[in-house]
Amino acid sequence: MSSEKVLIKGNYAIAQAAINAGCQCYFGYPITPQTEIGEYLSAEMPKLGRGYVSAESELAAINMVVGAAATGAKVMTSSSSCAVALMQEALSYACSDEVPVVVVNVMRAGPGLGYVYPAQGDYNQAVYGGGNGDYKIIVLAPATVQECIDYTYKAFYLARKYRNPVILLADGLLGQMMEPACFGENPYPEVDVSSWALTGAKGRDGKAIYSCARDEKAHIQKIHDLFKKFEIITENETSYEEFETEDAEIILTAFGSMTRNIKAAIRVLREKGVKAGGFRPITLSPFPTKRISELAADGKDFVVVEMNMGQMFKDVKYAVEGKSNVSLVNRPCGEWLSVEEIVSSVEKILNKKEGAYASCI
Amino acid sequence: MEKNFILAGFGGQGILLAGTILANSFMLGGKNVTWYPCYGAEMRGGTVNCEVVVSDTEVSSVHKQDADFALVLNQQSFDKFVQRVKAGGTIIANATLVALSKPRDDIKYVFAKMGDIANAIGSSKVTNMVSLGVLADVCDIVSREYLAKAVELVLGEKKKQFLPLNLKALEAGCSALV
Amino acid sequence: MQAVFSTPKSMKEDFKFTFCPGCDHGIAVRLVAELIDELNLKENTICSTCVGCSVFLYDFLNIDCVEAPHGRACASATGVKRTNPEKFVFTYQGDGDFASIGFAESMHTAIRGENISAICINNTTFGMTGGQLGPTTLMGQVTTTSPFGRNKEYYGYPVKIAEQIALCDGTAFSARVALDTIPHINQAKQALKKAFEVQLKGLGFGFVEILSSCPTNWHMTPEEAHEWVKNSMIPEFPLGTFKDLTEVGVNK
Ligand SMILES: Cc1ncc(C[n+]2csc(CCOP(=O)(O)OP(=O)(O)O)c2C)c(N)n1
Ligand code: SF4
Ligand SMILES: [Mg+2]
Repeated sequence: MSSEKVLIKGNYAIAQAAINAGCQCYFGYPITPQTEIGEYLSAEMPKLGRGYVSAESELAAINMVVGAAATGAKVMTSSSSCAVALMQEALSYACSDEVPVVVVNVMRAGPGLGYVYPAQGDYNQAVYGGGNGDYKIIVLAPATVQECIDYTYKAFYLARKYRNPVILLADGLLGQMMEPACFGENPYPEVDVSSWALTGAKGRDGKAIYSCARDEKAHIQKIHDLFKKFEIITENETSYEEFETEDAEIILTAFGSMTRNIKAAIRVLREKGVKAGGFRPITLSPFPTKRISELAADGKDFVVVEMNMGQMFKDVKYAVEGKSNVSLVNRPCGEWLSVEEIVSSVEKILNKKEGAYASCI
Repeated sequence: MEKNFILAGFGGQGILLAGTILANSFMLGGKNVTWYPCYGAEMRGGTVNCEVVVSDTEVSSVHKQDADFALVLNQQSFDKFVQRVKAGGTIIANATLVALSKPRDDIKYVFAKMGDIANAIGSSKVTNMVSLGVLADVCDIVSREYLAKAVELVLGEKKKQFLPLNLKALEAGCSALV
Repeated sequence: MQAVFSTPKSMKEDFKFTFCPGCDHGIAVRLVAELIDELNLKENTICSTCVGCSVFLYDFLNIDCVEAPHGRACASATGVKRTNPEKFVFTYQGDGDFASIGFAESMHTAIRGENISAICINNTTFGMTGGQLGPTTLMGQVTTTSPFGRNKEYYGYPVKIAEQIALCDGTAFSARVALDTIPHINQAKQALKKAFEVQLKGLGFGFVEILSSCPTNWHMTPEEAHEWVKNSMIPEFPLGTFKDLTEVGVNK
């Protein structure tokens, strides 16, 4: 199967990629629009002698994942928006515990129960987290079914390489759509986890994985160490895609599957003589702040296009630091912003010249 | 070039399968393509639809407002999707279940008794295949050859025994409009 | 003359069920509405609704409702009742809602002996999300997440909800009923009435588990689904009253 292109649904692509990445056990609870991930794995994992658990809740599922990961096992859970909310406590622990958990969030609309159709409203939830304290998660945002595969492989690798939780932040559009994609081979090497994984204290003293420190000094040190680690992650792993930014005067910025729409909008704008370019963070955390800052210093304006009320918009503004204008083209959920809507919004923004403003569709 | 297709009908008419075959035919032809189904509460109403978008470049909008081609197999879907065809676009309807009417004058209409043709071949279950044949006849970018290959690919080893009937239905669809 | 079949007053006039044709949820909601009418509770009731096929209960029932997140209806109802002890408070939940994601809340509400009534629609599956294995899926039963049938190695065993709830000291009434026949529907209504009355009398937690059909996810006609309730569910989930503080002698 490996080098052959197949037409496959994003959810199934993620599930099969998890198998290829060596996922030993899946823990999950159904929720639309990602239930197919669990359904697929419930059929495939037993055939491989691997684990599948129908957890009683997402709260249980994520803690099963943390427990398994503490023993060095490759494991994951998947869910969607309002149910990923239930995992926030455990994600805070997992960061502090430094256990490599992989969580897939196929976003639907919020807040609350919201509705089952695609949205991008969990940018903040993933990037900033809903758990307590200072912690950072690695967040990967695929834009195509192919990237669902590629970044699932990457998620397992980065989680273990850095002993840090990784969220694959997809959306209902990616989860439900089929697109030609190729599984290839999992390109990442095995990571040795023997130095920290719990195996039973055979021939050695017992060791413990925990989130709290024994005293204030140790806890302060722990947080500093975690943040130093994330600096290294930022240095090594920050990833983004740029298109036609070189001569661009205005840069359309999007994440996840909205990337597709801005790419097409840029083509249309170029045809109309607008010098438009594109910028697309692949790692939402670590965020490509430095690169955006450089582009802004070159005098390039930004238009953030997203399906939420302006969540990534804030991070782009922060990166730009007032060096150029940043506008927002958005809709909280529902129909993905069409290429035509994006083009006409950008034209409106261009006609208004001075100052930073938001244009909210 | 980016064209999008809406396929719609009632549950059991094999709409999602037809869409999958269409999408596979584009993939086999080396095109970029996406397929996106209706899901969730939309399914409860009894109608099913999916969107297929084909493009020379990466598909931009997977889920679009309007379609270049709508392939509708029942009246309910005709009524709903005739409004979602782009001006200048085409609606292709299963005249076995859809009444002849032209509620808009800025789009093209193709009516074919797909259900009757399928029945004549042996089973109303292959109405979806007949409809793909009609689509191939009407729409240049849909290739009969790749459709036939896609049917084989999608049915796979497990459903190989149904291949001849499905291919026959596809062919009958291709020559339904004379 | 008396109308033989009319819509209960506590149902909205323009309600339109979002349930699939032949689904027992419709019967259960109707029974609840009839009892609210008969006990004259409409103007004194607050319901905590759940997430499942009955998520839009507030569109059918013409009473006050607060939406609880998936599984948290009993906790939500506890909050409503503790601050409004004179109100009639109930939950209407699925088996996944009540006995999977929300089982901790459900059990503790019973253990605390909250004066509320809880209804659990047991259709052996997560209906709304398309028929996955749930806490009451029978051994051997095929669902979309147990494609080889439920086995103990991967999934463990189904839970007998009404019996578990009956074990809690705070429970005043716990019964299991079904909706597959007219006599069973009548019994179901009697059980629901008791679960309501124990609350009105201040005796503690009132609970009814209702065996219900899900023709859509079981891939059956409504008739076949009722046969399956009779032949497969009832032998595993026996009907009966497992605790009843209103009747001396029945209390085990
Ligand atoms: C926290 C959370 N997890 C998962 C879901 C998805 N979900 C919605 S309804 C449902 C299952 C409902 O099953 P059940 O409670 O048995 O009710 P039924 O639909 O069968 O009546 C699930 C898993 C959700 N909305 N919220
Ligand atoms: S899915 Fe099942 S439980 Fe839900 S409304 Fe349909 S038949 Fe009823
Ligand atoms: Mg259920």
